[in-house]
Amino acid sequence: MSNLIDNIPAVCPELGIEVPVSEIERELRKLWEQDEVHTNASLMNLVVYSEKPGALIANSEIIRELTAEHACRAILVGIDRNDPKPSLRAWITAHCHLADGRKSVCCEQIAFHLTGRVTGRFRNTVFAHMNSDLPLVFWWQGELSEILTERLVSVMDRLVIDSSSWTDPSASFEMLEESSQSNPDLIIQDHAWTRSWQFRVGIASLFDDPAAQEALPEISNIEITFHPAHRNTALQVLAWLAVQAGWKNRKSTDPVAFESSSGLAISVAMHVDPFAPPLSSLIIRAGNVIVKVRQKIGSAHVERQVETPAFKATSLSPIDPTSSADLVAIQLSRGGRNSLYQKILPRFREML
Amino acid sequence: MNPFREDLVSRSRPEPCSIVIFGATGDLTHRKLIPALYNLAVDGELPTGVKIIGFARRHKTNEEFRSGLEELNRKLSRSGHDEKVWGSFIESVTYHASEFSDVEGYRSLARKLDEIDADRGGKGNRLFYIASAPEFFDEILVNLKQAGLNEAKLGCWARVIVEKPFGTDLATAKHLNQVVNETFQECDTYRIDHYLGKETAQNLMVLRFANSIFEPLWNSKYISHIQITCSENLGMEGGRGGYYEKSGALRDMVQNHLLQLLSLVAMEPPTDLTADGVRDEKVKVLRSLRQWDTSQKVAQNVVRAQYTAGHVDGIQVPGYREEDRVSPTSDTEAYVAVRLLIDTWRWSGVPFYIRMGKRLPKKSTEISVHFKDAPCVLFNAIAGGVPGGNVLVIRIQPDEGISLRMVSKIPGTSLRLEPVKMDFHYATSFGKSSPEAYERLLLDAIAGDATLFARRDEVEEAWKFIDHIEYAWHQSTTPPPMAEFVAGSWGPKEADELLHQDGNQWRRL
Repeated sequence: MSNLIDNIPAVCPELGIEVPVSEIERELRKLWEQDEVHTNASLMNLVVYSEKPGALIANSEIIRELTAEHACRAILVGIDRNDPKPSLRAWITAHCHLADGRKSVCCEQIAFHLTGRVTGRFRNTVFAHMNSDLPLVFWWQGELSEILTERLVSVMDRLVIDSSSWTDPSASFEMLEESSQSNPDLIIQDHAWTRSWQFRVGIASLFDDPAAQEALPEISNIEITFHPAHRNTALQVLAWLAVQAGWKNRKSTDPVAFESSSGLAISVAMHVDPFAPPLSSLIIRAGNVIVKVRQKIGSAHVERQVETPAFKATSLSPIDPTSSADLVAIQLSRGGRNSLYQKILPRFREML
Repeated sequence: MNPFREDLVSRSRPEPCSIVIFGATGDLTHRKLIPALYNLAVDGELPTGVKIIGFARRHKTNEEFRSGLEELNRKLSRSGHDEKVWGSFIESVTYHASEFSDVEGYRSLARKLDEIDADRGGKGNRLFYIASAPEFFDEILVNLKQAGLNEAKLGCWARVIVEKPFGTDLATAKHLNQVVNETFQECDTYRIDHYLGKETAQNLMVLRFANSIFEPLWNSKYISHIQITCSENLGMEGGRGGYYEKSGALRDMVQNHLLQLLSLVAMEPPTDLTADGVRDEKVKVLRSLRQWDTSQKVAQNVVRAQYTAGHVDGIQVPGYREEDRVSPTSDTEAYVAVRLLIDTWRWSGVPFYIRMGKRLPKKSTEISVHFKDAPCVLFNAIAGGVPGGNVLVIRIQPDEGISLRMVSKIPGTSLRLEPVKMDFHYATSFGKSSPEAYERLLLDAIAGDATLFARRDEVEEAWKFIDHIEYAWHQSTTPPPMAEFVAGSWGPKEADELLHQDGNQWRRL
């Protein structure tokens, strides 16, 4: 595995030029001095962490896209913990984009590759190269590992994860809970949650309709269709509906069975479709009103529909992104405390 | 209540409604309103089931109306033109032909709206957008009332958006407000000023009240003066002269946009962010404006001017009086500079300067806050002295952002000082484009958030201040003179002198 990174040349088109770790800041300054027409912009430190072989180069491509809208100092970290020999290499580059077709705006990128026992070295390396005063957004790719220590989490402002990529979400959330105890202000952004944004907004907006709103207490049936790799997204949506509508868990062994505050049983049907997008359909029946949010395979839009015996209204909204880069871009754009996610998290974890 | 809305987005909830646009065949509808509504649909922000009804005099079929809208949307929409979204959006758009003066046309509109509402169990919200020429405002409002369209059904709302100009002087503004308020309640009246929908204008309150470093300095103790500049490089192209001759720079821009910006800069912190919380503070600023209520005071504090032939962007342009649809003996100002004083504890003795002009070197709107010089006992003696004080610039357009000028030592063995600039550009830092002002404002009106709309008392207070100046110019026996400047320059020398008297000068943009 270590051979893979050893193959990265000292000057690599994706990662830039290799520099001694102690010279990173000086080399970055040189980079800026070469050309005065560039503007160096940064609103955050964005650390992208991966233990997947080859991730450094792939992540550099993602950063190139991301920096068009989100100016940051990007710190890419690739780790090979299977290689017993400790090593640390670094590359620097800048990603430049034309703003308004006029000004070239550039963002710095530092890429690190570490091998061997890295926990302490990794943390110190990241801390040493952050832009002071700017927030730290930490994008953790893949399974959580013991490198996610309380000390590391304590300096993060925002942690981006994808719980859909975890083999044991229950254990991973527990680990996350433990490591974030000392940082109550940490904002967690889960790709699995972001993937359902348009579905949630769609449902909310359809229930703005007076007829749908009147029928809200009569919700009796929910049908959700999802891709098998995105069960967490479906469960999070169900948890959201339950928490917001004040539904209790029905007394049964099925954690996904609800009861409204007036005691009405709400049945939930979960369908898996291996060919569909992460979420492809959410249908809620309430009395004689049917509310549907659907995304067909290959469609560029999510369809919202409210149907009563008297009328049917349909509208379109954009689809949720599927690529990691787009999901992160959206998460960075929205900012905020992500309090709704924190609110539904306990209920979601009960369903796992 | 819709529990699924809770915590989802940090803004008021836009509700399904029918939107009726009066003046639907006009430029504003085609160039701004429909592209704005379409872009809201693209972003999934327009509530499902919204119906849009264009109301105008010309006879057109739905298809003719829709095809005209599509043509311009293709050219002007911020997010491009997506056939599928447009197809779904345009289905909700219909046309209703009627004279503005024909009450029967409003009654048939009412029946049409009732049919839409009937599908929803008789419930339906209604938003009336008066985008017609101002001379029709009165009769549209009166006829809306005649047809009972001003009354909301139980549990629903009926709102009206009124486009500028809100009158041409205090008397007409009062009259218009009276007609509006006889038809709709003030809380359902939305007077649109698109400047307030601009990102930087909205950011003004955030800058002032979410950053602890500025507010302690935001007063007469630390601020020397404040300038608000709106410069345009265009003149009277496209037949604008006809309209401009009746308004002039003061009424066209200062009475509304620039005094609104002034209110945001000078107001006290509101007690909360509700529409009235903010507008209560804004109106206090306008009420505190010292009135230039004699010709002499106007002459001392206001400069009006017209441009003579010159060059803008390297192209020769005519003088104002030679422009298309402008009288050769016109006494309409194409440039105005005003010194304002706000008689409050906070702003005592701090002059505010507003200038607005056509055919200036470039298009730009900005607010600059000029801080007092530091006591330079330490650096007075050095060669070159201290080069100017701190200036905080809030750029409204075109390059939205904020910059701060401060003094720094030039590197080297000797002590020499130079101004340096810290610059924040929205486009550089955030990359993504802001929604158009009309998108934000339409969504706010649908959601019932009037914070970014002018209230009746704001409009009237602004006119009260403007009326004195207009009176001195056009009705007094000793009108202050009309100055001149060469097109493409930064205005008349009299405007420079206005600031020189106070020891200040216009910021070079």
